[in-house]
Amino acid sequence: MFELLFSYPARIFSKGDIVFLGAAPLWALGIAIGAAAAGLGLLIMRRTSLPMARRATIWTLQSLLAALLLTLLWQPALRVSSLKPQQNVVAVMVDDSHSMTTVEGSSTRLDQARQTLDSGLLQKLSDRFQVRLYRAGSGIERVAKTADLKGQQVATRLGDSLKQAAGEAATLPVGAVVLLSDGADNSGGIDADSLAEVRRLRIPVHTIGFGREKFDKDLELTQVELPARTLNGARLSAQVSFRQNGYANRKARLVARSDGKTIANREVLLKADGRTQTETLLFAAGNPGPRTIEVSVEGLDGEENAKNNSLRRLVTVETNKPRVLYFEGEPRWDYKFIRRAFEEDKSVELVSLLRTTPNKVYRQGVANPTELEDGFPAKAEELLAFQGLIIGGVEASYFTPTQQEAIKMFVDRRGGGVLFLGGRAGLADGGYNASQFTEILPVALPDRKNTFHRDPANTELTPAGRDNLITRLDDSPDKNAEIWKKLPYLANFQELGTPKPGAVVLAEALPTSKGRLPLLVTQNFGRGRVAVLATAGTWRWRMLNDHADTKHATFWQQMLRWLVLDTPSRLSVSTPKTVLSDESQAPLRAELRDKTYLPVSDALVEARMTGPDGITITVPMEPDPLNEGVYNANWTADKPGSYLAEVTARRGDEDLGKDLVNFRREDGVAENFGLEQNRELLEKLSSETGGHYYKPAEINKLIEEITFSEAGITVRETRDLWNMPIVFLLILLLRGAEWFLRRNWGAV
Amino acid sequence: MRVRNWAVAGFVVFMLASIMYAQFGRRGRGDEEDVPIPADANEATEFVFTRLRYPSYRGGSGMWGVRGSWSTDYPSADRHFMQGVRRLTRLHVRSLENVVDLDGDEIFNYPFIYGVEVGHWDLTDAQCKKLREYLLRGGFLMVDDFHGSFEWEVFLASLSRVFPDRPVLDLDSKDHIFHVLYDIDQKVQVPGMVMFYTGRTYEQDGVDPKWAGVVDDKGRVMVGICHNMDLGDSWEHADLPRYPEKYTSLGYRIGINYIIYSMTH
Repeated sequence: MFELLFSYPARIFSKGDIVFLGAAPLWALGIAIGAAAAGLGLLIMRRTSLPMARRATIWTLQSLLAALLLTLLWQPALRVSSLKPQQNVVAVMVDDSHSMTTVEGSSTRLDQARQTLDSGLLQKLSDRFQVRLYRAGSGIERVAKTADLKGQQVATRLGDSLKQAAGEAATLPVGAVVLLSDGADNSGGIDADSLAEVRRLRIPVHTIGFGREKFDKDLELTQVELPARTLNGARLSAQVSFRQNGYANRKARLVARSDGKTIANREVLLKADGRTQTETLLFAAGNPGPRTIEVSVEGLDGEENAKNNSLRRLVTVETNKPRVLYFEGEPRWDYKFIRRAFEEDKSVELVSLLRTTPNKVYRQGVANPTELEDGFPAKAEELLAFQGLIIGGVEASYFTPTQQEAIKMFVDRRGGGVLFLGGRAGLADGGYNASQFTEILPVALPDRKNTFHRDPANTELTPAGRDNLITRLDDSPDKNAEIWKKLPYLANFQELGTPKPGAVVLAEALPTSKGRLPLLVTQNFGRGRVAVLATAGTWRWRMLNDHADTKHATFWQQMLRWLVLDTPSRLSVSTPKTVLSDESQAPLRAELRDKTYLPVSDALVEARMTGPDGITITVPMEPDPLNEGVYNANWTADKPGSYLAEVTARRGDEDLGKDLVNFRREDGVAENFGLEQNRELLEKLSSETGGHYYKPAEINKLIEEITFSEAGITVRETRDLWNMPIVFLLILLLRGAEWFLRRNWGAV
Repeated sequence: MRVRNWAVAGFVVFMLASIMYAQFGRRGRGDEEDVPIPADANEATEFVFTRLRYPSYRGGSGMWGVRGSWSTDYPSADRHFMQGVRRLTRLHVRSLENVVDLDGDEIFNYPFIYGVEVGHWDLTDAQCKKLREYLLRGGFLMVDDFHGSFEWEVFLASLSRVFPDRPVLDLDSKDHIFHVLYDIDQKVQVPGMVMFYTGRTYEQDGVDPKWAGVVDDKGRVMVGICHNMDLGDSWEHADLPRYPEKYTSLGYRIGINYIIYSMTH
């Protein structure tokens, strides 16, 4: 309709500029219109036989008509850039990945794309441009004819393909790109760099989408989030996200397997169609070493694609135990029961110091008879050797300013986790307000004493705590919340004050008076983490529950792991993906610190890479010029299988550390996911580059509109607008309206 | 005949009253009346010295069959001892003692309990079950002031029903319980007041002090057994000039070590 009224498609208007070809300046048009309106006003207003409202209506209609006619005298036109015939290249990119072999009706998506090209599109484009045909997969490759497209590319990376096309545009007059694809990109979308490159060259990318936008019956795992490393004996929490169509309110099983053996299994109720649903699956990490965890959703029949129901991740179970230092200011029942909870946990070592008398400290869990024999570490280096720290009911003044500084450094620079406990000598009652702890605490403590109360208090989780790794006593957030409500009351509680911005309150205390008080609050500080638990009375969860009950131990073990799990060692190595699905690039990142955890940038850092064939190659890691203490390397995993990167750091003769990271390359996986047409991605790509998204049936429009482009070799065209049908229609409407009104009013 | 009936009834009432007195009568009577309630008796504290009230065994033969009960040395020993604990440690201790039994769940609020004269306890099956559960949850029982082979057997008769599957072990001098605060390497028999009448530090045939315990699956002492000694008297009579200081000193050290051990292991 738009084209019928305006002679040209709307998109041409958006690409072009409206100009006036008349000799007189544009301001003269404004004066002429004003003068015409004023003259008409004088003439019409003198006709007193008509009421004022009717005279005003007639004046408006006649003024509009005069304005329209005067505008036509100034010769409006549309100036638009268009590609010069036969001088430009149009790159036709066909997604040749495995997902294009998906059968849609009686033919595959690739067949449909080939048919679209062969049934006239290629010919029509060739009539006006030089056409280059490419297959697109992980990159682009030129092909001679559509028959060369086989659908054998193992992955689709539209961003990389477009970047390559943009590279060709540097030497060729590429006027436009036509992309025929299902939009099933395996890299998670088109990166900003690739998009910016295409936009810089002003090449419009026109997309033609293939495949159904929604399967009738399918469930697809979209994400499995698991930490790359975990502690020996620890429980893992996998965040499993999936989306389904056609199975709403059905039940399915969420299963985790490690090396083929089922390690977790639970039923989930599927929510509404099309919605991404995230569930948690808990399981034991297993023995030390690299563990391949496969998570799948099972139990659904009639799926259109059954290959997108499972994802694999690699988790390295650490062999070394992180060490936690627990300093307690006085004998308390919680000390005993916290220690007992830790004794059940194989994943950590707890070293505790208990001030039994004013001058005596009782040590437990020390590595040797001399360790910490003088009490709390006097030197920062001694404290920084630990991964976690718990400070029990001890007044701030017990610590020297150097020790307080070291505790702050432990969190901020070392990246350790610190837990402060409530007590008669802790937090506000212990003078923490006037100490260096103020900065790292996740709460603004009350500015008064007597905040510790030996009165009972029940506990409840906040929404943030219902599904948190520290407070999770049941997989189901609802059941978890109920369990916390039913826990035996705490023996005591402490007023914490106000949580700081960015802090997360996980649990609240509900004493008989004073309302709800924050009980467990966490926050990140610097590279580390800080938590405060405003009680020393969780021991009642142990003594008031059956001896086989594990809630108290589970809570404390999870609390402890939270303290240490993300505490980095002096040399820590990582790679963004532990499983490379049909991709080969594995960037390695190492972060190196000295004994006081200051960044080290002048070390020799090397990665010894061992691939699936057992061959070891040493790769130097280069210092990152923008990030002190960071070293990078890129490794190409050219074969499927397991890889081990053993990274060492040296400075002269000094050994600065060693760390390992495992990853796997798996082929033939990526193209099983995201099989529905990703129209949103294709539309975004088009609109961001000045192109347009078309359905296969709309290719005639494409042929018409592809001419208008600012890339390649172009010519500026000027097209008259005075002869648009809408102009004549408006003239008729304005005159007809006046005539109709006058007739009704009897004024004719 | 009428007189005879009254005599029989009177005898029955006397016997019942005797039993009641033996079981519960000394609580709130006797020593307690002589010991003033401390001014800060109601202070809420971390630790409360808690005595176990139990039913007594009245069988056996000779004079030893009828002596002793849960309330021996109560409450002077408790209050004296708590003053010592306050002075010698950083433990926040209530000045007033506490009493619990094994018939309700109140015991679970007190992870340390002290049983005296357990050579005369006679627990019911339900009480044995409750005590086992208490200990398995992490509670600690310290028993003291029972002597000789007869009382040992009576003690074991109930304890073996609490833990049929766990033996009583002799505690090695290197055990943490003897080093948690004080290094108690030189252990001697701590006598009770009876020493002044008999001239001996032991009672009955309990010549040698026995330091024993029942441990949990991880080797932690759950029941600390002080047999053939009377730590309670060493606490109670700490201010008695004729009671030797060396026994009081050792008694306090042992008691404090047991408490600190119960709060650390």
